[in-house]
Amino acid sequence: MNMIPKLPKPGLPRARFPWPRLPKRLRQVGWRTLVGALLLGGVIHITATLAVPMVSSGNAFLKLRGTLPLNRMVLLPPPAPSTQPLPYMAADAVYAMCRYDISVDSLLVTALLAHTGWTLSLHTPQGDNYYVMPAQSLRRNEVSLVVVPGGDHLGEFKPAPRRVSTQETQVPSPSSEGLVVVRAPLKGLAWRAETEALLRRSSCNPVKR
Amino acid sequence: MLAALALGGGLGTAWYMIEAGSRLSTRSFGPWMTWVAAGRPDADPYTRAHTVRNALLPIASSLELTYRAKSDSAGGRLNASCDYAIVVEGLEGAWWSIAAFDGQGRLIQNAAERYAYNADTVMREPDGRAVVTLARDARPGNWLPIGGGSRVTLVLTVQDAAWATTVREGGDKPLPAIQRLACR
Repeated sequence: MNMIPKLPKPGLPRARFPWPRLPKRLRQVGWRTLVGALLLGGVIHITATLAVPMVSSGNAFLKLRGTLPLNRMVLLPPPAPSTQPLPYMAADAVYAMCRYDISVDSLLVTALLAHTGWTLSLHTPQGDNYYVMPAQSLRRNEVSLVVVPGGDHLGEFKPAPRRVSTQETQVPSPSSEGLVVVRAPLKGLAWRAETEALLRRSSCNPVKR
Repeated sequence: MLAALALGGGLGTAWYMIEAGSRLSTRSFGPWMTWVAAGRPDADPYTRAHTVRNALLPIASSLELTYRAKSDSAGGRLNASCDYAIVVEGLEGAWWSIAAFDGQGRLIQNAAERYAYNADTVMREPDGRAVVTLARDARPGNWLPIGGGSRVTLVLTVQDAAWATTVREGGDKPLPAIQRLACR
């Protein structure tokens, strides 16, 4: 009887990787538990992301609240390391800001957007920019608008605001509080006084509705 | 233990998506990165959380885009001990501004009180380009002083509605190259 010797199977030898051995407790974890943990992690991820705008105490509105009077336009000092009101705020511009509350009256905002780069912007306390008007060279550069409550977001009925004049644009605000920002880029240090003088013509005043 | 992993994983990934951003909410062009929906009322939750957490007050990205760079065009971290040249070209017709900050978004103290250049204040080369030099010591031309802390962040603001639309729709726009010149 001829014995056929067992030959090794052709192919590459099996590599032996030093896989780390998981702790016994983890090896006993079932797939259902893993899926549950992933789902829980996802829920925590979504909840944390959505909660940040509501619970954060360091947003721009709260940082400026203490320095800005209500319903009055204020010219901020030129940004410098000691006077920078917000992070990453450009220092080649001067700013006028108005913190508003339109829960009682509407707000009449006027501004002169003198040169390219000048902007008038309206923001909610969460920083959303719901209205912006840039300066444009071929347009009348005096802007006048009335900020009125936007009923959709206030969750309650608001009477239609009285139109102040046919000249003014009405801008519904999604929140009763917010910020009006007029940014005036500097063309150079020699223009600072002139730029600030133009910026001082910006105003915000409550108007009855 | 799994609850702890879920908590850590959930909070950790949320922090990363809010602070560093991802392709869902940001777009990168070389060393420059922008939050494409910044300032807009219909922004995604990561962008809104980023805006609130960092106390930003951005103008809607449908008009103006703000780019941040923390590294040079070769990928090296921007550092106050090095000199850099930023070559601005292809921004004709748009209003723009470039500013240097430290790692926390604070202006960098300097005796010259120079913190930024914009389309109106920058000196241009005869071919229309503008070269801004970032350096600790004075340099001829458009010198932007850096110093103090080791980390530097550059912020480029471009105000041009057509530009913003192109970027939002996934198009590419030329952004300034950041070249490292020398380090101490």
